Parts: sequence; C-alpha cells; structure tokens
Amino acid sequence: MIVSKTNYKIANAHLTSRIKQTLVAILSVTFGISMYIFMNSFMTGVNDTQTGLAFSTLAHIRIYNDIPKDNTNLFKNKVADETLVKVRNPKIIQYTEGIKNSEKILNMLDTIPNISGITPQLNINVFFRNGATKVNGMLSGIDVVHEDQLFGTAQYVIEGNWMDLDQRSDGILLGSGLAKKLSLRLNDNVIVTTEEGITKNYKVIGIVETTLASVDNTKAYIRIGFARQLISKNMGYVTDIQINVKDYNNTTALSEQIRQMTPYKVEPWQEANGQLEAANKLRNIIAIAVSLTILIVAGFGIYNIMNMTVNEKIREIAILKAMGFDGKDIIQIFLTQSIIIGILGGIVGIVFGYLVSMVVNHIPFKIASLETLPITYRSHDYVMAFVFGLITTFIAGYLPAKKASQVDPVEIIRG
Amino acid sequence: MEQLALSVKELNKYFHEPQTFHVLKDISFEIKKGEFLALTGKSGSGKSTLLYILSTMDTAYGGTLTINGSKLTGKAQNELAAFRNEHIGFVFQFHYLLPEFSALDNVMLPALKLGKKPVGEIREKAMENLKLLEIENQAMKPANKLSGGQQQRVAIARALINEPAIIMGDEPTGNLDSKNTRIVFDIFRELAQERGQTIIAVTHDDDFASNCDRILELMDGKLIHQ
Repeated sequence: MIVSKTNYKIANAHLTSRIKQTLVAILSVTFGISMYIFMNSFMTGVNDTQTGLAFSTLAHIRIYNDIPKDNTNLFKNKVADETLVKVRNPKIIQYTEGIKNSEKILNMLDTIPNISGITPQLNINVFFRNGATKVNGMLSGIDVVHEDQLFGTAQYVIEGNWMDLDQRSDGILLGSGLAKKLSLRLNDNVIVTTEEGITKNYKVIGIVETTLASVDNTKAYIRIGFARQLISKNMGYVTDIQINVKDYNNTTALSEQIRQMTPYKVEPWQEANGQLEAANKLRNIIAIAVSLTILIVAGFGIYNIMNMTVNEKIREIAILKAMGFDGKDIIQIFLTQSIIIGILGGIVGIVFGYLVSMVVNHIPFKIASLETLPITYRSHDYVMAFVFGLITTFIAGYLPAKKASQVDPVEIIRG
Repeated sequence: MEQLALSVKELNKYFHEPQTFHVLKDISFEIKKGEFLALTGKSGSGKSTLLYILSTMDTAYGGTLTINGSKLTGKAQNELAAFRNEHIGFVFQFHYLLPEFSALDNVMLPALKLGKKPVGEIREKAMENLKLLEIENQAMKPANKLSGGQQQRVAIARALINEPAIIMGDEPTGNLDSKNTRIVFDIFRELAQERGQTIIAVTHDDDFASNCDRILELMDGKLIHQ
C-alpha cells in the first residue's frame, strides 16, 4: 500500500495534534512488545539453565549395550505361532556386557559432521568404603580430556585438579555429597569394591560439585584405563559412548543414522529424560500465551484510542469525503496513524524490553548453580516481538479505519 | 448555444426513519452554466436534502442527476468522490476546515488530492485564491486561530482550488454577520459573472436570495417556483 503524501500529512497532523493520546497508544505498544521480549528471554534463559544443568552429566545421545528385551518366550520365531510354549522361570545364562570393540564405533562416529564431541565411559556399580562407612555408588571411568569437553566437568571441581586424574593411577575424584557421607577430604584414602569382589585403594585427589544431588551423592571419577584394569577388561571395552551434537534439539535424525551403523542401543536424551523436554515445551507455551495476551491487550488499547480519534474527527472525515477523498484514502489516513504508533512503540519496546531483561538478569538468585535470574538474549525474540506488535497494531487500527471509511458525510454535515 | 451545468429529472426521495416520508416529489429542473442560483424554502421543505443529492453525496434517490453532461445516477461511491473532487466545490454553514492545518494547507488539500499539478503550482494557485478573498496575510495561521468570517473565506478559497464547474453552498452565510455576508455574496457574484462558474446556494436569507440570478423555491418537497 502506497500512502499518498497528502494522506500521510493528515495522519501526521492527527497524531501530533493529540500528542498525549498518541503517547499513551505508543506506550501500550511499548509495554506489550517489551513484555513479550522479556517473557521469552526469561523463559529461554530458564530453559537454557535447566538444560545446561542437565547436560552437565547427560549427553545428547548415549550408546550402550542394553539388556536383551523380553526374554519370557525363548521360542519366539523358533517355532510356529500356534505351538503352545510354556517355559518355567526363564533366564538368560549368558550375554555380552558392555561394548567390546569401541574403537570401531568411535572412528565411525568421527566421520559424522553434526557431532560436536564424543567420549567413552566405563561405568561400574561399586561400594565406596572408608572404615565402617559403606556407600553404594557409581565409579565412572572416563577419558579426562573428552569428558571435560562434553560436560565441562572440570569447572565443577571445587577442590583438587581435574587434570590430575591423568597423572595418578590411584587417583579418584569424588562427588561432594559422597565425600561428605564417607567423611573424606582431599588426599584421604577410599576403598572401592566391585560387584565381583575386587577391592582397590584410591587416593582422593579432587572433589566435584555439580549441584545435582543425584550426581554429587553417588558418583566418582577415575581414568578409563585404570577402570578397565580394575575389572580386568581389555583395551576397547566401554559401557557407554556419550555423544554431543551441535544442536541438542536435533537428535532424532542423527540417532536414526547411528542406529544403522551399530547393533547397540542408541538413545537420544529426549527418550531418557522426557520430563526435561516436556518442561521446556511447557515453559515456552506459557511464555507465548502470556506475551501474546499482553500484546492483545495492547491491541485493545490502540483500538480504543483509534476509535476515539475517529469519533473526534468525524466531521473532518465527512468534509474530506465531501471534497472527494474516497474510502481508501480515509482507511489510509487512519491506518497510517496506527502503523506509525506500532513502529514507534515497537522500536521503543525493543529497547525497553532489552533494558528490563538486563535488569532482571542482575537480580540475585542464588539457588543451585545460579547466581542471578537467567536471561537468554536472542535476536529472534526481538524480531518476533516487533512483527507481532505490528500485526496487532495493524488489526487494531484497521477496524476503526474501516469504520471511518464508512462514515456517511451527509449525515454528519447536516447534523 | 447555452450549455447546461446541471439537470435533474423526476427526482424523488423518501426518508424511512422514523417512518416513511416523501421528502422530494417529482422534481425536475435545469441550471445553465454561469448561473447564480438560490435554493430557498421553509425549513423542512427539503431544500438541503435536494442540495445533498445534487452534491452526489446522497445517492439514495429516484430519478436522474446529470452534471456537466455526465449522468451520475447509479455510479459507485469512489467514482463519485473523484467526480466531486474535480467538478464540485463546497462551502458549508460551519466551515469545516482541518483545524491542525494552516489556511494555505486547507486550501491546497483538494488539489493535492486531485494530483494533476505539481505542488509548487498548487501553492501559487492557493495563494492567488486567498488573495482574491483578501486573507492572504492569514495564509500561514492554523485554521482554528481564524475568525468565523476568515474561516468561511478560506473555505471558499478551498472550494475554488480545482476550478470546479459548480460551487454548492449550504447556508454559506448562515453563520456570518451582515458585513461578511456581503463579502461572501460579492465573491459569489464575481465568480459567476467573471469565471462562468455555476453557483447553487441553499439559503433562508431573503435578501441574499433576491440578489441572485434565479430562485428555486421548495415547499413540502415540491418545486413551487423556478
């Protein structure tokens, strides 16, 4: 729509002659748009923190050797379907544990471009003992460099040094809760006993605190090579291969691709942690619902003000029509006003939304690993806020403009 | 050969609210170019109603309306708006200027809408019109700062800007004192005589009417004198 200069001039005169009302209208758009930006930035911030926290121990995709499923009918596919089969108390007497030849899989994964990091793990259920205290937990044999690359574990080490794991064959890093339960401090000794009854003495060379209680209370780290020695496994043996991808929302297709290449179970994080994804999505829905509601309320504000303007200027509309301005001109005149309000309110709203986000981002909030309330700044939110703001003002401005265009000049001029 | 500025044939008009009422009854007449014509009658006689039909703004009537040789009955609103813009100038009892605009801008408005001339030329022409009405010194003042007589003259200058064939006035002097009435009347007279513009003015001012070229008188929706 090309607005003629004359119509623009009239629209401009209307806006500037009632500067207070114009400002109120602009403010209502500003408010709507800044709240949209703030709500979405905040919710994204919360989501990012939540997933960031989760991904401090959880990889995007995990490959492991699952226990064979459904072993109640061992004759399945072996005999005809109609054959009646009854096996009493079935058991599997032998199956391969873990991933025997991990090198092959690791090399293959290296060729996939969307993968940002891979680390092998050897997780063993063990008992930690210090004197009489005995705690059940998980000993994680890890690749020191790659583990940190994926999970940033080194930054959670509150005592000692992550890289020391590479140096000492008897070195172990304990979760902070686990250390506390066992009354252990740096440089103390801890005894580890495996399910098979093998016992080994380790020296505590570091304490890890991720703030996730389930991890801190049960987990300990040693180097993967020493873990293999502990349970007498050969070089390529791992229990898990953890994979990170570039965009953690895009794991499904990649998982499918990996599944084609390996006989092991390939599990994207959404499958194992449905609640995380659900919470993210629910928060997004709330953010969108609230911010759209605010925008719609702002839209009603503009509708109201434009309606008032039309009523106030109804004699002018009549005279314009008498002079030969047609319905389209009148729509242009009033729609131009609301679009100007929308654009101005949008620009101010973007600035204001950014400021509000920044202020909130500085409010202290010391729970878990947080220092302040989380905000994620995404240009996409700002663009969407502006677009939605414009759409709202357009609709809110169009209805009164349409009404103005239908004014019957005779009725108004004759009074 | 004398040309017709306007003609109506068998014009009938009804009001339906609050009840059906026959306002204009079989009205037919012709107006020649350059005529200065008064439309009179008691209030309720239908003279204003007739004027608004002639102005093309009111389209709910029976019969035919022809202005400058083009039949306007049955045309779409937007076509009529464009026609008004070019061929009809209006002066109302209440001047209806755009209050935020200067006198000059108000005068320029219909020409800017028509868009047939460059802005500079329109501005010149508008100043000329204001000079003709002797208010060129008020050109830059906002319209709402002018006195009633001045506003009415600005409205006339505005009605003239596109050099319309017909100028219509609904009680153009109804709101003015005798001095300003005189001025407005003289301007109309001059326009009709010197420029050949047709003027139709609804008035209940007998003095004003008696000085016109011709009087159309309505009574109870019927033309009783033409």
